Amino acid sequence: MQNNRHIKQEEEPAPLFKKWGYWYALVIGFLAVLIIFFYFFTKYFS
Amino acid sequence: MSLPDWIVLVVTLLGIVAYGLNKSRTTRNLDGYFLSNRSMSWGLVLLSIIGTQASAVTFISAPGQAYTDGMRFVQYYFGLPLAMIVVCVVFVPIFSKLKVYTAYEYLENRFDGKTRMLVSFLFLLNRGLSTGISVFAPSLILSSLLEWNIYWTNIFMGGLLLIYTMSGGAKAVAHTQKLQLIIIFAGMFLSAYMIIHMLPAGVGFTDALHVSGKLNRLNVITTEVTKNGFNWSDQYNIFSGIIGGFFLSLSYFGADQSQVGRYLTAKSVAESRVGLLMNGLVKVPMQFAILLIGALLFTFYQFHKAPVFFNETQVAKIERSPLSDSFHIAQREYEDLSVKKNEKVVSFVDALHEGSEVNMAAKENELRQLQQQSDSIRKKVKTWIGSKQVGGDNNDTNYIFLRFVLDYLPAGLVGLLIAIIFLASWGSIAAAINSLASCTMIDFHRKYSKGIIEPEKEYTLSKKYTLLWGVFCIVVAMFTYNIGNSLIEAVNVLGSLFYGVILGVFIVAFLFKKIKNGSAVFWGAVFAELIVLFVFFLAKTNVIKLGFLWLNPIGVTCVILFSILFQGLFAKKINPTQ
Repeated sequence: MQNNRHIKQEEEPAPLFKKWGYWYALVIGFLAVLIIFFYFFTKYFS
Repeated sequence: MSLPDWIVLVVTLLGIVAYGLNKSRTTRNLDGYFLSNRSMSWGLVLLSIIGTQASAVTFISAPGQAYTDGMRFVQYYFGLPLAMIVVCVVFVPIFSKLKVYTAYEYLENRFDGKTRMLVSFLFLLNRGLSTGISVFAPSLILSSLLEWNIYWTNIFMGGLLLIYTMSGGAKAVAHTQKLQLIIIFAGMFLSAYMIIHMLPAGVGFTDALHVSGKLNRLNVITTEVTKNGFNWSDQYNIFSGIIGGFFLSLSYFGADQSQVGRYLTAKSVAESRVGLLMNGLVKVPMQFAILLIGALLFTFYQFHKAPVFFNETQVAKIERSPLSDSFHIAQREYEDLSVKKNEKVVSFVDALHEGSEVNMAAKENELRQLQQQSDSIRKKVKTWIGSKQVGGDNNDTNYIFLRFVLDYLPAGLVGLLIAIIFLASWGSIAAAINSLASCTMIDFHRKYSKGIIEPEKEYTLSKKYTLLWGVFCIVVAMFTYNIGNSLIEAVNVLGSLFYGVILGVFIVAFLFKKIKNGSAVFWGAVFAELIVLFVFFLAKTNVIKLGFLWLNPIGVTCVILFSILFQGLFAKKINPTQ
């Protein structure tokens, strides 16, 4: 194991998108869409 | 079970073992055995992560949960996607850069040896016991339903997977998980299809959803905010799901070796990240789909006679008890209500097809009243079963889906569903045993060995530790049967007792760069664990009302606060003039 005190964050390029940030936004956005969908699903069928 | 079921079961299980052995070829060193030489694609990492998290209980208990309590259990997973992002940003790059075998190696580098040992020990204790229960829980269900010997079922449940786990390590575990998940999803899809297919003519999928929804089984989003404020003791609502679920998922994916060991096998940081993020995308819909099976099953039993209690072993117990007569009266009342409900639900669906709002509202109201009466009889029976006079287990959630499988599904499909229970268990147990062996080998054996051990010797020792942990888990499963079902409930919250503290140590390591004193973090973790245990004791004895998911953020917060406090105290002790 190497020493971690001087770890340089060599960022590997993200597949499909330009940045990893877009991946994270996709995950958060999809979760938000799911919650909204579940909310209306609950409302509609109750 | 019929002969075709036995054939399907035996062929599926032996097929998986043979496939695992076929994928066992790896280099004879620790890189090959525990990390599959860091060669896995994101797809395999994703399936391995899902296979590790999803146990047999995930697939058989979740539909039962939706049947009894509705679909709100899905909220438990809302924090998971957010945790995946934090793991990708913070944990993965560091673990990957340091080329660690276990997450806990990093803690020695960051703090000191004793902090690493403490956290690794907490992991071994928690994971070792909970894996034993993971062997026992599905074995108990199968032995009750099929009248199999519990000891032999434990041995087959925990023993067969050892053949490929010991032989091929992480590589065999990942490849078998891939095949297991394909079979599991195919089987669950077939069951859902059969439930809809067996509904009466003219009742379709959306009709089934309407019936289920009107009877409060499609309650996916709940807030538990009332006039009296927020209900802190409620386990599954949107707030506990996002906050508590986030901390639980973060500790599970960031600090539990059984998951860390899966994404460390990826060939690059990018492959690890994509595997984890894809898990964040698919996990919630996957759980939603499994719970939906339970909600549909609930509708199915509105048209068919449902047992008042689904575990027949416990029914036999109450029938032998002094409460037998009362039980039979309740059972008859329940059956009568079933007939009435059947008539009402048919007229409700007719009103639904006509589109008559007034008629629909009237039928819905009648149906709800009948359901309330049914629920109250079921509640009464459950209280009787749990009473001292009967001394039984009054939770039949795990039996609801399987009772349906045995009573209604055709020959062959029953065998496949029983095989799925084994496969789902094997996926999580194999990964857990592999991680227990890696921590024992790397964090303890290698650390305390004098001199350098040959790679071939380390490889052989790792296989032995895998076997030892496998045997340990089977032994725990055997003892669990002797102790009783109360232990299962205790072990369900075991994760929350330790995960918060384990995660707290990692958060201090990653985010509190000024805290460098290992002793401060070590004692911070010890005190935090004591606080968590004390809060749990207060909740258990009803002094306070608190759902177990909240123990995770409490553990994390306590470790951070105590570490900051002790860092300050120890610094003053070293240099009292400052």
